[in-house]
This record gives sequence, C-alpha cells and structure tokens, in this order.
Amino acid sequence: MRIKAHYAMVLNLDKCIGCHTCSIPCKNVWTNRQGVEYAWFNNVETKPGIGYPKRWEDQELHRGGWKLGYRGHLKLRAGGRGKKMAQIFHNPDLPAIDEYYEPWTYDYGKLIKSPAGKHQPSVRPKSQITGETMDVKWGPNWEDDLAGVNRTGALDINFRNLEHSIYLKFKQVFMFYLPRLCEHCLNPGCVASCPSGAMYKREEDGIVLVDQNRCRGWRYCVSGCPYKKVYYNWVNGRSEKCIFCYPRIEAGLPTLCAQTCVGRIRYVGVVLYDADGIRFAASQEDEEDLYPAHTAILLNPNDPAIQKEAEKQGIPPAWRKAAQRSPVYKLAKEWKIAFPLHPEYRTLPMVWYIPPLSPVSDALAPERSRVETLDKIDTIDRMRIPITYLANLLTAGDEKPVRMAMKKLMAVRAYMRGKQLDGVGDADAISAVNMTPETAEAMYELLAIARYENRFVIPTVERTGNTDLYRMQGSCGIPGTVPAHGPFPREEESSR
Amino acid sequence: MDLSNLFAFVIFPYITLVTFVVGHSYRYFTDELSWNSRSSQLLEPKSLKIGITLFHWGILATLGGHAVGLLIPQRIWDLFGIDGEAHTQIAVWSGLLVGIVAFIGILMLIHRRYTQPRIRITTTVGDWITLIGLAFVITTGLYNVIFGHYYILDTVAPWIRGIVTLTPDPTLMIPVPFSYKLHVLSAFFLLGFSPFTRLVHIWSVPLGYINRSYLLFRRRPAIEEQI
Repeated sequence: MRIKAHYAMVLNLDKCIGCHTCSIPCKNVWTNRQGVEYAWFNNVETKPGIGYPKRWEDQELHRGGWKLGYRGHLKLRAGGRGKKMAQIFHNPDLPAIDEYYEPWTYDYGKLIKSPAGKHQPSVRPKSQITGETMDVKWGPNWEDDLAGVNRTGALDINFRNLEHSIYLKFKQVFMFYLPRLCEHCLNPGCVASCPSGAMYKREEDGIVLVDQNRCRGWRYCVSGCPYKKVYYNWVNGRSEKCIFCYPRIEAGLPTLCAQTCVGRIRYVGVVLYDADGIRFAASQEDEEDLYPAHTAILLNPNDPAIQKEAEKQGIPPAWRKAAQRSPVYKLAKEWKIAFPLHPEYRTLPMVWYIPPLSPVSDALAPERSRVETLDKIDTIDRMRIPITYLANLLTAGDEKPVRMAMKKLMAVRAYMRGKQLDGVGDADAISAVNMTPETAEAMYELLAIARYENRFVIPTVERTGNTDLYRMQGSCGIPGTVPAHGPFPREEESSR
Repeated sequence: MDLSNLFAFVIFPYITLVTFVVGHSYRYFTDELSWNSRSSQLLEPKSLKIGITLFHWGILATLGGHAVGLLIPQRIWDLFGIDGEAHTQIAVWSGLLVGIVAFIGILMLIHRRYTQPRIRITTTVGDWITLIGLAFVITTGLYNVIFGHYYILDTVAPWIRGIVTLTPDPTLMIPVPFSYKLHVLSAFFLLGFSPFTRLVHIWSVPLGYINRSYLLFRRRPAIEEQI
C-alpha cells in the first residue's frame, strides 16, 4: 500500500443557485490576461446543455480520457504514445477556440466620446483576437438557465436511456447548475497525454500543474482531458489550468471559488488514498463498477492501522489529522452522498458532486399534503430531474447509489423537520435508510449549516528543508530579496 | 583567393553556426518560458491540417536526405556499390518527391498566415522572416533539383563536410552554380536566425515520451530552491 494525501472538493448541487460568483474571483486572479481571456478555470453550466466547450462530455467526439483496450489494459482514448508522436504537428482532437468562444470586449469609450446625436450611441462586440467587430455565437455560460437548450439539449449525452424530447418540452423541463473546475484526477488524462512531461501531480497533495518552463505547446493535454479543463494560451503558446489556488491552499486558505461561494456549497478537505490502487480502480471492466472502485481506494483515516502506515510513509501529522476531520471523506465515502463527475472517463476525478433534489413534477397524489409529498422517500422518482440523468452524469448510469444518496438527503430533511416542528425527529424516515440520529444531525450540520470551519479543513503546507523562516520574513518569496543577515541589521541581531 | 568567396563559404557559415549554438543556449537558459512552437492550431485548425502535415513530413525527410547524402563521403557509398551517378539519381528523385511535399506545405502555410485574419494578426515579423526564409530555401533547393543538373558530390558535399569537421575549403565552392550557392547561403542564414524564432521547438522533440510513465509525480521543491 502506497498512501498519498490528496486535496479534494465536494460541491453540493442541491444548494447551487448558479450565481457564477465562484467564477469571478477565479477569472480576476488567474486568467485576466490576453491569451487566456477565453479560459475559465471555473465555470458554471446549466444542465441539461452541451456546455463549454461545446459538447465537452461527448468523448466519441472529443476523445479525451481513457478507455479499456486489449485485454482490459487502460488506453488513452485519443491513442497511445506512438500515434501522438505521429500526429504531433496537428492534434486531430484539439477543439478550436470557437468551441469555447471567441473572446470579445466592447469599445466602451464610444459611449462617452460619441458626438451628440438623435440616438444613444451603442457598442458592438469586438473580437479580442482580431479587434474586428464580431457576432457573439457562444460563451462560457451560453446556456445559462436553459437558454437555447431547446436547440442544443438533444446533444447532451446525459440523456442516454431517456427520451430527451420529453424533458425539453416547456412544461416538463428541468434544470440544475453544474459548477466545473479541474478535477485534479488520480489518473489524469492530461498528464498522461503531455509529450514533454511538463504536467505532473504534486507528490504531497495531488494538485495537477503545468510546469510553464517545460511546456512546449504540443497541446495534447487540452484534448487528453475529458473535462476540457486545460487551456492553451494562444498568445504565449503554453497550456494553463486550474492550480487549485495552491498559494492559498498552502497557507491553509480555501480556493477562491470555494471561499467566495455564497451558497456555501463547496467543501475542501484532505483524503488519504492508496496510490497502488489507481490502476485497479481505473480499469474496472464494467463502467458502473468504476465509482465503487474509486471510493474503495480512499482510505479510512480513522482506522489506526491506516494512521500508523500513513505516519510510516511520511504523511505529516497535521495532514493525518485533517484527513480525519475531512468533509470530503464524510460526504464521499462515509455517507456516500457525493459522486465523481463522469467516472466512465476513467480518470478518477477528485471533485465530487452531491446530486440535487428537485420539485415533484406530477400530481399523482393530490390527496397528500404538499409537505408530506416532499418528505416521502418514494417521491424521488417523481422529481423533475430524472434519476437516470443524474446517474449518467455521476455514476456512469448506475442509478442505485444516486437513488440511495437522494433518499438519505430526503430522510435528513424529514428527520430535522420533525425535530424542529414537533421537537422530535422522524425516526422512521432515517431508519429506512439505515441512518442513526447522530449521522442525520451530522449531515444536517455539514450540509445545511455548513460552517466555514467544517466546510474547509485545510492543513497548511509541510515545509521541507532546513529553513530559517525568521530570516526570510518580508522577502515575499521573490528571488534575491532575502537579506543575508535577516530582517534586522547585523548589530541588532548580535545584540539579541 | 577571392575574398568574397572566403567570406561567403567560411566566415559567414561559421558566424551563423556560432549564432546558432550560442543563441539557442542563451535562449534556453535565460528564457525557457518562450521555448515552444507557438502553435496557432487553437485559433484556426481547419486551414492548418494539410499544410502543416505536408510541410513537416516533407522537411523532415529533406533534412534527413541532406544529412545522409552530404555528410557521408562518397567513398563510403562506393563501398556499398552506390557510385556517384547512382547516388545523384537517388538524391534527385527522392529529393524531388519530399521537396515538392514540403513546398506545397509551406505554400499552404503562407497562404493561411496571410488570409486568415486571426493568424495574420498574431504573426510577428520574425514569423514572416522564418516562413519566407523556409520557402526560399525550399524553392531554391527544388530549382536545383529540377533545373540544376550540377554534380555536387565532389564540390558542395566535401565543402560542407569541411565546415563540419572545422577544415573548411572555400575553393571547392568556386565552380558551383549561383543557384546552389543561394540555396546554401539562405539555409545558413536560416540556421543562424532560428534561435530567435519558434523553430527552437525542433530541439524539443519529445522523444522521451515514448517510454515514459503515463503518471508523473513531483515533489514540491524545498523552500530554499524556491527563493
């Protein structure tokens, strides 16, 4: 067993209001530059829809991630090393920038500089590539709140085994938001696809990064990532991606997207996993076995044997402790209410999603009171969002785990409603899903109250090397700024 | 000795070669961030595909042919029973084939760069010099193959080997026709200019990828290394 620690995130889709607040600080801090103005390390999509870039989920089209090849061996869907080398001059699977969108701006000066006239001056979109006037045809949130999905929705692959035309009718329509960022996968397709070896996972915390010095711009990371979360900077010719805000994370602060989330839907924590199990977990023959195999290699931080082994393998004490308090471990493994996005891509993503509940869409039981209807667990099959759709999104089509998770979410609601209205929780509701009152209250605490210190359990980075931090203070990490004698002149230092 | 001949076929080639070596080293060690191919595929993939593929395979084969044909002395080919006449025939016909492939490719790339607005606006002066330079070298090379009919194995070939082995003999180049001289000199110019262009990506062919592990881990550098 090779134990490694990994940062992971959970997003509670049940609470996402689609406000895009997560995307804004991310954009302002990391991609507010020419060349990556089209890149959103974090974006929020409305489901159903084909997303950004167009149809990113359709790997028959984009050929990202892995598949099983001869004798069940994992293979990159776009082809192995030899094929990549032969096609290196023109990557056949690279999306054009128009699939994301042509970045644009407006000539705002025109609004105040135009001469007085009969009509208000107007500004037209101008391409940030050519500077020419252009028509805006797509964007990172083009399908916001289902805009245009009557046209694009049929191409959403999550309608597999569903009749999409029914769900795209005005009165039957459903929607929810899907905020997306780099999944920092355990078996990343981008890292495997990079010919230069510029991409890597950090040994200590699993964050996937592009070494900007080593990147030669072969562009295979962009097409190799099934989530299309590596972006090619068209100005400087290198790829860039979400860095999980590592300068913040190292200091114990949550990522910008998580910190700013007004709905408090994001959880950031540490999980321990068995790196020797990656191949096993990613090469399950049946796609529906991928999700359970993925959770199987996440290790129980409360198991004394695991703790001891982790200590032996050099996982720092603060990290082992953080793993025990990890909200991600609780939501994904212990309670099994959070799921990886599209496990069938076989990359073992480490950003997990709690499926959203939704209003009951039919009037099958008009005699029941509204509250009762919502509380009854059997109503989850009558919710507007079809379970099949969520299962296609989160568990490669296996409805059982998604259904169970939603039953648990409903049970916690029923229990807590009883507790708050009648002073006593609905014991039947939670025992039906084999849940103890303690678990129900812990879930309520973490999901509904979602205190900052419970959502974010982030150990600071373990400093390696023999470091005199006192001497380095004030140097801001800028090379060449550490004074040889420390922050004070030599005389003062000697008199201390 | 003719001074201009000495300059053209000893001094100039060595200036470009020194620029080539020093320029590449300097750029690699001081500005590795800019060391890449600056691919424009993202902006305009459709018009790129055929041209770029033809050009790369054509130019790679052409370079390989030049290396094998010019750097290996004729007396070694003779040992294998390939006399000068046969050698020339092989070189002319294979060179014609791959040269035309590269030529069509570069014309398509120039056309794309000129006509596609997104590509045109992101093209630098250096890009144009590189592109036109490549086209010029390929065109003169093809001209020589088709119209030249000059026997180079006793003149240009030993001269270039002399350059490589630091024993240059510019007198070998005196009887060489002008179009051949033009080809050689423009190629050396491109060589000397290449460290300042996107051509540096040639030296980063990711051969290591062939037997590399798919999954890579790296440890955070110790803080002393970061500062």
